[in-house]
Amino acid sequence: MPIYAPTLPPRPSIKPDKSPILVMARFDIVRIFRLKMGRFFGYVYFCVLLVKLVIIYVNYLLNTNPQLGQLKNFADQVMPQPAIFQASLLDSSMLFFLWLQVALVNGALISRDTLYRIRPLVYSHPVSQKDYLSSKALIAFGIPFCVQLPFILLPWLISILVAGSSGPVWVTAPLLLIPAAILNSTIMGSITLGASSLAGSPKASLGWIIGLLLMSSALGGILSGVFENFAWMAISPIALTESWSKILCGVEKTAIPFLPTAIATGIHVCLWLYIAKRRTLPSEAVI
Amino acid sequence: MISFHNLEVRYGATVALSGLNLSLEEGIIGLLGPNGSGKSTLIKTLMGLLKPYRGSGSVLGTPLEDDASFSLRSSIGYMPEYDALIEDVSAYEQVAFWGELSGLNREQARDRSHEVLFFAGIDEARYRNVSGYSTGMRQRVKLAQAIVHSPKLVFLDEPTNGLDPMGRRKMLELVKKVRDELGASVILASHLLEDVDRVSDQLLILDKGEVKAHGSMSSLRQVLSRCFELRFLEPLTPEQEARIAEIGTLRDNMNGMYDVELKEADAGIPFKWAESIGVVLVQVTPRHDRLDEILIRAISRPLN
Repeated sequence: MPIYAPTLPPRPSIKPDKSPILVMARFDIVRIFRLKMGRFFGYVYFCVLLVKLVIIYVNYLLNTNPQLGQLKNFADQVMPQPAIFQASLLDSSMLFFLWLQVALVNGALISRDTLYRIRPLVYSHPVSQKDYLSSKALIAFGIPFCVQLPFILLPWLISILVAGSSGPVWVTAPLLLIPAAILNSTIMGSITLGASSLAGSPKASLGWIIGLLLMSSALGGILSGVFENFAWMAISPIALTESWSKILCGVEKTAIPFLPTAIATGIHVCLWLYIAKRRTLPSEAVI
Repeated sequence: MISFHNLEVRYGATVALSGLNLSLEEGIIGLLGPNGSGKSTLIKTLMGLLKPYRGSGSVLGTPLEDDASFSLRSSIGYMPEYDALIEDVSAYEQVAFWGELSGLNREQARDRSHEVLFFAGIDEARYRNVSGYSTGMRQRVKLAQAIVHSPKLVFLDEPTNGLDPMGRRKMLELVKKVRDELGASVILASHLLEDVDRVSDQLLILDKGEVKAHGSMSSLRQVLSRCFELRFLEPLTPEQEARIAEIGTLRDNMNGMYDVELKEADAGIPFKWAESIGVVLVQVTPRHDRLDEILIRAISRPLN
C-alpha cells in the first residue's frame, strides 16, 4: 500500500472527459448491485423464466412425439395458445415481482439522496438538474427493461432452436414484446422516480409506490364496475403494464383497449416525471 | 475574489438578500449571522444554485448572472453542515466519486481520494463504510470531499460541529492548511465564534439579508476599541457607579472588575474620572473585543 505524505500534492488538472450522468449512474449501479435483495429477485426471475422455458419444450414434445397424442389433446385445453403464450411472457406473475423490485430499488434512488441530503452536494458540483434526473432515469428505466429482456429473448431463442419458426412462440416475439418492455419500463421508471422524489426516505418511498398501485387499482376496479367499462382500469399502472404486451401481441380481447392505455400511459409518465422535476430543483436544495 | 454590486436575491416575493455591496479578498472569511440572516442563501448564490434577482456579482472572476457560473462549480468545494455522506459506501469510494463529478478523470479521482483522506487524517479507515465512523471522522471525510479537486474557493458550513476540543483544534488546523498549502480561499460559516475568531482573516456579518459588517478582523476590532476593564481598590458605591455616565457606560463583569465603554477612545479618561470622584483606580486594561461583542453590536447597528 502506498504511503502518502501528510501534505497535499500539486493540484490535478481538471479536464472533464465524462458526462456526470454516467458517473452518477455507475456509482448508483454499484451500490444497487451490493444490495442483498438482488439475490432474492434473481432466484424468483430464474424460476419464472424456467417455467416458461419448460412450457416451450413440453409444447415442442407434444407437437413432435406421436406417442403423446392423447396427452396433446388434453394439453391443448389447459396450455395457452401461441399468441396468448407470447403475451404471457410478460405476464402478471412476472410483472408482480418486477413492480415489487422497482418499488424497492428505484424507490430509493432519489429518496435516499433526500434522506442523507446528498442532493445539495451533487448540485455544488458541475451537475445540472437535467444531469441528475437523467442519471436516475437511466437506472429507473434500465432496470425493469433489463429484467424483461431475458423473458423475451430466451424463450424466443429456444423456440427457434427446438421448434423452428412453427414453434409455440412466434418468430416475431422480440419485435412485438421489446416495445412492450420499453413501455412497461417507462411506466415503472417514471412512477417510481416521481414517488421517490416525494418521499423523505426509501421506506417512505416504498409506501408511496405500494399505496399508489393499490389505490389506483382499487379505484380503477370500482370505476370499471360502476360504469361497466373495463377501460377505467387504465387508471392502474399495474393494469397498464399487463396490457401493453397483450395489445402488441394482438390479444386485445383480454386487455384494456389501445386508446385508453396509450392516453393513461402518457398521463402517468408526464405527471410523475413532472413531479420528479419539481421536487429536485437546485434552488430548493436545502443547505 | 468575490464582489457584489447591489445584489438582491429573492425566494418568490420574499427578499432573502438585499443591496449587497462588498468585495472579499482571498484568505479565510468568517461568515456570521443569526439564523435566517441569509448565510445559506449567500452560499447558494455563490455556488450558482440561485440566480440574482437584481444587481450583479462575480466569484473568482465569473459573473453570477450568466450560465458560466455553472462551470464555476468545478473550482468550488462545499462542505455541508449536516451528514451528507453516503452511508453504505467507503470514504475512499465516495471521495473519489465526488472528485470524478468535479471533473477529474477516474484515475486522478482515485489517487486524489487517497491523498486528501490521508491529508484529512483518515488512514486505513478509508476503506470502511462511513456508517461506522465517529463524528470527527465524518467531518474529516466531508472536508476531504470538498477539497478533492483542489478548488480555489471552499465553503465550510459548521466544520467543527459536534467535535470535542481536540477534534476542533485539528479541524481548524486543517482549515488553515487548506489556505496555506492548497492556496484556496475559505468561507467559514459557524456559530462557534471562537473557531471563527481563531482562523479567520476577514469577517462578514449578515443580518436580515443585509451586510452588517465586513472587513479584516483587526479593522473591525479597532472600531470597537473604546472598551476597558477597570479594577478599583474598593467596590464602587451606587452613587459612584451612577457618575460613570460622565465618561461612558459601565457594567459589573462579576469578576471584581468593571467593563466600561468610553465615549472616546482615550485610556487616560478613566484615571482623570477616578480622581475627580475620589476613588482609587488600580488597574486599567484595554479590553480585547470578543467576536460575540462584534457580532451583537454589528447586528444592533451597522459598523461600516
